[in-house]
Amino acid sequence: MAELMNQADFREALENAIKGKSANKSPFSIAWAEGKLTRAHLARWAENHFHYVGPFADYLAYVYARMPDRYTEAKDFLLSNMYEEEIGGDRHTDLLIRFAESCGTTRERVTDPDNMSPTTRGLQSWCYAVAMREDPVVAVAGLVVGLESQVPSIYRRQTPTLRKIYGFTDEEVEFFDLHIVSDEIHGERGYQIVLEHANTVDLQQRCLKICEIGAQMRLLYTTALFHDYVEGDISIAA
Amino acid sequence: MPIVTFHKNGEVFVGEVKPDTNLVVRAGIKQFPFPHLSYGCGMGKCAKCACQVLAGGEKLPEPNWKEQKQLGDRLSQGWRLCCQIWLTDDIELMQNTKAA
Repeated sequence: MAELMNQADFREALENAIKGKSANKSPFSIAWAEGKLTRAHLARWAENHFHYVGPFADYLAYVYARMPDRYTEAKDFLLSNMYEEEIGGDRHTDLLIRFAESCGTTRERVTDPDNMSPTTRGLQSWCYAVAMREDPVVAVAGLVVGLESQVPSIYRRQTPTLRKIYGFTDEEVEFFDLHIVSDEIHGERGYQIVLEHANTVDLQQRCLKICEIGAQMRLLYTTALFHDYVEGDISIAA
Repeated sequence: MPIVTFHKNGEVFVGEVKPDTNLVVRAGIKQFPFPHLSYGCGMGKCAKCACQVLAGGEKLPEPNWKEQKQLGDRLSQGWRLCCQIWLTDDIELMQNTKAA
């Protein structure tokens, strides 16, 4: 029978829940890191990624609205994350589009929802469902800890490759640079919210489960990108 | 563990952080050097987190393209963008309200 964990043990459990399903292990991420993708593959990635991360502030806004008003700091953290995604500096999706354009696609193609794969639509729908229906603390665990906090480790691996192997300029890959910093802040804020407010055995267990599912969803999404756009073109090491 | 000595408007604040720490990430979750470190976008664009390194700068990696773009000549006077650096060793920084 599960017991209530202290914050240090709970954090370790959350990290372990994510670790086994890290999107770093998907064939798309491996091919990316090995420099085997073409700019056309990366363009398809950007056209899909836009529809997953583009509504992130929308997902958080649903969570924000349902977060109890007595959790002032948690609400402030969510609001800060939303602000930084959209208007804190450059809009993050504009930087994604800049990268997409350097891969040969267009803003119109990126923003057109008809260009995302069914699996991407599934991930986006899952994010909306979690934001609207789960306990808000559990939703933060799923969306911010389970998904967003993975981003720095993924981009730390991928960004040097984009410069050195794929030959992109600093400006073209700024989307990835900024996420190494901003998602680290956002992910940490997510951990703070979850560690403080998941204060029952049931909530802790639900947070662990949704982190695991969130990581699975991201892995599913990136794996599908490989099958949908890359598989017929290249092979990667097992 | 790196020791951070932070000068702000004539006051000095000292705190210990974990290795590989970004001070803007810490401030973003309201941990030292919060609330003393001013920052804005967290993406190397606004330069609100700019600080002058008083000691320990030799242990930092070379300024990246964003720092070069935002700080220009101030780099040679020891200025860095805190959002762009991860600390592994002790450092002494100064940030004055009108400095950024």
